[in-house]
Amino acid sequence: MFEVLYKLKWFFKAYWKRYLIAVGLLMIANIAEVVPPWIIGIAIDDIALGNMTPDSLREYLIWLGLIILFGYIINFTWQYQLFGGALSLERIFRKKLMHHFLKMTPTFYEKNRTGDLMARATNDLNAVSLTAGFGIMTLLDSTIYMGAIIIAMGFLISWKLTILSMLPIPIMAVLMQYFGKIVHERYTKAQDVFGELNDSVLESVAGVRVIRAYVQEKKDEKRFADMSEDVYEKNIQVAKINALFGPITKVGTGISYVMALGYGALLVSNGDMTVGQLVAFNVYLGLAVWPMMAIGEMINVMQQGNASLDRVQETLDYEQDVKNPNNPVHVESPISIGFNRFSFQYPMSQIKNLHNISILVKRGETLGIVGKTGSGKTTFIKQFLKEYPVEEGQLTIDCVDITSLSKDELLEWIGYVPQDHVLFSRTIRENILFGKSDATQEEIDEAVRLAYFEKDLKNLPLGLETLVGEKGISLSGGQKQRVSIARAMIKNPEILILDDSLSAVDAKTEANIIENISRVRNGKTTIITTHRLSAVQHADQILVLDEGKVIEQGTHEELLQTEGWYKEQYDRQQLEEVSSDEY
Amino acid sequence: MSTSRRLYQYAMYFKKPIFIGLVLLTLAVFTDLAGPFIAKHIIDHYMLPGLLKLQPIINLLIVFLVLAIATAVLRYFMFVFLQIGANRVIQKLRKDVFGHIQTLSIDYFDNLPAGKIVARVTNDTEAIHNLYVQVLSQFVTSFISILGVYIALFILNIKMALVALIVIPVIYIWMLAYRKYASQFNHVVRTKIADINAMINESIQGMTIIQAFKREKQMKDEFAEMNNEHYEYQRKLLFLDSATSFNLVSVLRLLFFVIFIWYFGTQSMTTTESITAGTLYAFVDYSTRLFGPIVNIVNQFSQLERSLVAASRVFELLDSKGETVSEVSIPRYEGNVVFDNVSFAYKEDEYVLKNINFTAKKGETIALVGHTGSGKSSIMNLIFRFYDPQKGKILIDGKNILSIPRQSFREHMGIVLQDPYLFTGTIETNVSLRDPKISRETVEKALMAVGGDRVLKNLKKGLDEPVIEKGSTLSSGQRQLISFARALAFDPAILILDEATSNIDTETEEIIQHAMEVLKKGRTTFIIAHRLSTIKNADQILVLDKGEIVERGTHEELIALGGQYETMYRLQAGAFN
Repeated sequence: MFEVLYKLKWFFKAYWKRYLIAVGLLMIANIAEVVPPWIIGIAIDDIALGNMTPDSLREYLIWLGLIILFGYIINFTWQYQLFGGALSLERIFRKKLMHHFLKMTPTFYEKNRTGDLMARATNDLNAVSLTAGFGIMTLLDSTIYMGAIIIAMGFLISWKLTILSMLPIPIMAVLMQYFGKIVHERYTKAQDVFGELNDSVLESVAGVRVIRAYVQEKKDEKRFADMSEDVYEKNIQVAKINALFGPITKVGTGISYVMALGYGALLVSNGDMTVGQLVAFNVYLGLAVWPMMAIGEMINVMQQGNASLDRVQETLDYEQDVKNPNNPVHVESPISIGFNRFSFQYPMSQIKNLHNISILVKRGETLGIVGKTGSGKTTFIKQFLKEYPVEEGQLTIDCVDITSLSKDELLEWIGYVPQDHVLFSRTIRENILFGKSDATQEEIDEAVRLAYFEKDLKNLPLGLETLVGEKGISLSGGQKQRVSIARAMIKNPEILILDDSLSAVDAKTEANIIENISRVRNGKTTIITTHRLSAVQHADQILVLDEGKVIEQGTHEELLQTEGWYKEQYDRQQLEEVSSDEY
Repeated sequence: MSTSRRLYQYAMYFKKPIFIGLVLLTLAVFTDLAGPFIAKHIIDHYMLPGLLKLQPIINLLIVFLVLAIATAVLRYFMFVFLQIGANRVIQKLRKDVFGHIQTLSIDYFDNLPAGKIVARVTNDTEAIHNLYVQVLSQFVTSFISILGVYIALFILNIKMALVALIVIPVIYIWMLAYRKYASQFNHVVRTKIADINAMINESIQGMTIIQAFKREKQMKDEFAEMNNEHYEYQRKLLFLDSATSFNLVSVLRLLFFVIFIWYFGTQSMTTTESITAGTLYAFVDYSTRLFGPIVNIVNQFSQLERSLVAASRVFELLDSKGETVSEVSIPRYEGNVVFDNVSFAYKEDEYVLKNINFTAKKGETIALVGHTGSGKSSIMNLIFRFYDPQKGKILIDGKNILSIPRQSFREHMGIVLQDPYLFTGTIETNVSLRDPKISRETVEKALMAVGGDRVLKNLKKGLDEPVIEKGSTLSSGQRQLISFARALAFDPAILILDEATSNIDTETEEIIQHAMEVLKKGRTTFIIAHRLSTIKNADQILVLDKGEIVERGTHEELIALGGQYETMYRLQAGAFN
């Protein structure tokens, strides 16, 4: 249970000053707490026996007043420092998680659902930071504070009385430990179900158009109702055990009071103790209630914190699937790209997605990749992004294996336009600048022009400053693709990769864009995958993929001669396109 | 109506368990508060120096213990009943919110990020959950306890009890002051955390791009800014809490004792009125029991704050205008569609469709052609009543669709979207959407018709192959095929295809085209695409430009017309050379 504190020792070490002050002052405060009851006890004796004098009264009042004042300042300080520490921890962990996510590749994201990752970045994070503040406080309260009270009771009043009335404590502690574990198990189950509910709602919201188009609203509601019933059940299971903590405390303290009164009566009638002392003892018992409950709270917080820390740490410990080489080889600029008997399989796939591919692309060449749906075109492209480890064969740049190149250098050369267009919740300008953050206005305009987006931009009320993405307007598929192209073009990359990036624009626009690209990219390498053969007509080399294998290879003319799949497609597509854009 | 009142209303839906809980609570408070009276009795009557009457003391102590155990048992059941009530209330609230979402118009979803909507249904309701479960039960428990204590104090000594009453207005004023500042800080904190979470979510979705363009540092910087601001405001809130809350209550408690000592001290020196030790004991005991609950209440302030803010957001959602989801089933219509002088704008006065007029007869195929932004998707949105036009009418089989509940006529419509959306489940559930009307056979047939054997060939479990989060492990083309099979399985009278065939290779597309031919029979089909082969065979082609129909007719008629369409076609044929 306390392992969570041990696991966080790096944090406590870094903030040792803050925690020293907090813990120190908390201890002082806890100890100071036991003084007032003692004073009250003495005062009561004076009152009851009629011994009160103005002087002694004044003394009592002054002491109490001082304690109030200093108590306030001390309490403020340790609270601020201690809980401030918890806030710091939260901030640090959140940063760590974010930074870690930025390093992760698709394999990680396939194994971890977004909803679950978000839960770790929110709920679990909160549980962990709770231990660094509230957790420590309850720890100290249930130990130091408790200790101070017990010592006060023993020294100032009577040890025998103290021991007798404290007997229930250890029993209560054991019971709370036991039930604490059960609560934790049930609580985790409740959290899991809640997480599932969350994921389910996210899907319903994201897929609202489909749900409505197929009139599935009522059924969706029913599914939700069933899930929420499950959530209810699990929560009640937790509640049934949680409900025990209060009563256990009550019975325990009840027994303590009985002991105090019973034995106390004996002592008072023997003259071993005054009534004032009994009153003081009673106040101490009252004070001891919180530390006793704090034990239960502490157990809860520590256990939940521990479980959450494990989950967060598990995510943080996930090692990069593709690591950078220790001594990367430096390549000045990619003169050639080579695939040598390259094969690849996705981690979750049952079959090989790329088989034995061998090809050489020289700088300045345009490579076209075509093939049926699922033939491996995108898989082929993705190899350049170094998102997966290389298993069989080699992918070399200038005869240097890609595994020896640093990802940083590799990506520096690459301008990537994905198949599934991704734009972020920011202005179009900011989305384009993603490709080159220090681009000039001219460069932006040029990129927009090359991507054939000028006209669309003029039709948008705020032009480049238009907000897109989740918070902004919805661009059409073709518009998103062209912004993505502008984003890659502005980088003027050594290797431009277009992964079926022109599928949502018509053939004429596509032809224009391709022409623009080839004009400005003289001497630079371009790789295009597409369904439309017209896009790769002029490529220096064309690969035809089928089920991850290269079945045809050559220039457009050569492939027409081959009379295979390529020629078949070509014939079909010849007459199929209608341009629906400006001319 | 204020948020608090509405929360109260919701609580009333489950008043039985809550009421039982409260009754048990009250009983528990009284059994608990009887304790000090018993102690007082023992001290005053049986605890005199030199005199020890054992038997009465033991009897009284047994009563004391029994009462304590009774309190414990009552407390247990009180807690459970209150939890049952609270959890049921939250469940109902959640179901209401989720149900209400189904009635909201599409533009609500288009204008708000998915994450924010989900937060209302789950996270915000969870904050309200805490409100009922924690805050309210503490408030009520404490309140009744305090009431009991005051009653006891009044019985003991009226003058001191009156002094003790001053505590109440002090706490109340403090609560108001705290809420004023705390709510400001809280607002920033909650907004920031929502933004942070939205950013994390978006980054995860777009991670490939972020990494491909090496924008990690930029993301880190932006994130740091939000993270730090969130932290700053949390610290401000903490400052406020440390200065008030528990700290201040402590001060109050000790002040109270100061007054207590001063009062009884001077009393004992000036008057002959003697106060028994037992009374003093009881007084101190009750005072302690007074401040315990007060501390509990004060501790709940910040949670109360958060929960009320969350509640107001949830109620805002519930209040937004929705349209009841109709369960009325109408018989399958023929599928004659008429657009009568329809004009439509998403944003006020920015018309994306102007005076659209056309008639589509049952079973006809209408092709919508035009550059991006010409209004094709908007026409589709209108047919589906995802949006309604500002001017003009849309008729199906002569009936204005505004007069038919949306769900009723959508039952006989099918759609294949530009961005195919897949749900977590299996391939089968994605085609059938778990609708009991669609059998497994229908799913199999539909998949075959669209060339689905391709999709299934490489998947071990075939139809039962699990689909995870949005279908990320399937290729773009595979997702489209499934989405297509879905449309077929539901056998619609009106079918709409929105640029769906643009991400599939020509060969697969040809297979779909063939299936389309079979499917199109007896169905009115609207196609928005760029492929000529689809358009060529259409019964009617509508050429759109900037929201208006500029040309219409069959392929041959339009070629003969020699207008925009003819030019486009001619240029296209030249694109290959």
